[in-house]
Amino acid sequence: MISPVKIWRRQKEIRSILGKKGKILTWSIIYAAGPEFKKFAPYPIVIVELENHQKATAQLVDYDKDDLKIGRKVVAILRKVREGGAEDVLVYGIKFKPT
Amino acid sequence: MTSVIGYYTTQFGELWEKSFSDLIEESVDGVLNNSFMDKREIDAIFFANMLAGVLENNLHAPSKIAEILGVHIPIFRVEAACASGGVAFHLAKNYLESHPAKTVLVVGAEKMTDYSPEETTNALASAASGEEQEAGLTFPGLYAMMAQVYLEKYKYTEEHLAHISYKNHYHGSLNDKAHFRKKITVDQILRSAYIASPLKVLDCSPISDGASAIILSSDKLLIAKANHKAAVLASEVATDTISLKGRKSLDEIFATRIAAEKAFNHSKLRPKDMKVAEVHDCFSIAEIFAMEDLGFWKKGSGGKKAKERVTMYGSGNDLIVNTSGGLKASGHPVGATGIKQIGEVFLQLTNQAVNRQVKNAKCGLAHNVGGSGGTAVVTILGN
Repeated sequence: MISPVKIWRRQKEIRSILGKKGKILTWSIIYAAGPEFKKFAPYPIVIVELENHQKATAQLVDYDKDDLKIGRKVVAILRKVREGGAEDVLVYGIKFKPT
Repeated sequence: MTSVIGYYTTQFGELWEKSFSDLIEESVDGVLNNSFMDKREIDAIFFANMLAGVLENNLHAPSKIAEILGVHIPIFRVEAACASGGVAFHLAKNYLESHPAKTVLVVGAEKMTDYSPEETTNALASAASGEEQEAGLTFPGLYAMMAQVYLEKYKYTEEHLAHISYKNHYHGSLNDKAHFRKKITVDQILRSAYIASPLKVLDCSPISDGASAIILSSDKLLIAKANHKAAVLASEVATDTISLKGRKSLDEIFATRIAAEKAFNHSKLRPKDMKVAEVHDCFSIAEIFAMEDLGFWKKGSGGKKAKERVTMYGSGNDLIVNTSGGLKASGHPVGATGIKQIGEVFLQLTNQAVNRQVKNAKCGLAHNVGGSGGTAVVTILGN
């Protein structure tokens, strides 16, 4: 079960990153994933350095193949990041998309 | 001087017929038999394991080992992800320094193949940060992100990485305990499926079962009468952030550099004194980082050196690396790996490595990494 308390704690951090722009430091496309993410594979993950030099690790969405490169500019957006059972809370968090 | 006086490893691989306890028991019995010792001569045990708690709801291993052996001595479980074995060895050495003239067992074991690849992938990701896990980042994914930076920065290709797997599979073909004993071609590696780009199946170490055990002693009389012995000249541990994003640089394992510097200073030896090394090649890129960060190769030259296969058995060069087959071909039962690495160096230094024996190997190094570089252990043995 997804813990609502953990999500609540985490969301305080999410708010500070949302809408911030940055550039891709590195990336990979994950083909072999754990059970929770298997249905989304293959999916790209990026480490981004934001304009305030804060760094974040998250999935890249709404992208073209050419967007997967070091230095590409991206912006932090709010997306559903995990999906538990029917009774679980929905988990929203940070993903990035190209600007 | 603390010395390794015995080593045994089980077969590494998909061992359907062996349980976690069976593997531990075989490795302990094996090392005692190999060293002509009795369990009553063992004063303490250090046990390395990462996943039994996560995968099979199996903790409190010290008391299980006490039951297997029928002993009442102190037994400690050590967990540092894939560096559990190296850290257990380090703690065992420190224990002996505060308990003179004693003898301890260092055992590492992991049972991984009872579970689906997804379950094991998920369990291994427990060694990553919460943010990385939430993003769906996997353990291969972490190294893939580092590989991406390295390949771009130094203008190398996936083919440069492939030569590491080629070499280690050749070495694995010479090791009867290895998970994979099959040689593979560079073309096969390049044509294998992606796990996390740019890393493919044949860039990655496998999911394996296995257990390895070492006897470590500071008892001068026991060491003197041992048939095979190698002195522990250094054992150093260093740590770094668990998050990849928190690292100073993404094209190195900084903790390796710190542990190596301390180990070489402590032993008053240099990288060029090493004739054999077992380095942590959980992925092909990881062996390149290891060779550079340990000081064997200049930063950025690793892709070229890998392609030249300068550390392959039979190359006639001064340093041969991963004669066991490394994690790639010998297999990677996580808790056992760090012990097997030190054990392989011990076999080389005591002239027991048969068909993969490196001539005149007087000093050797073992390098064990936890997670994506959050822990690194460097051990130097010598005669």
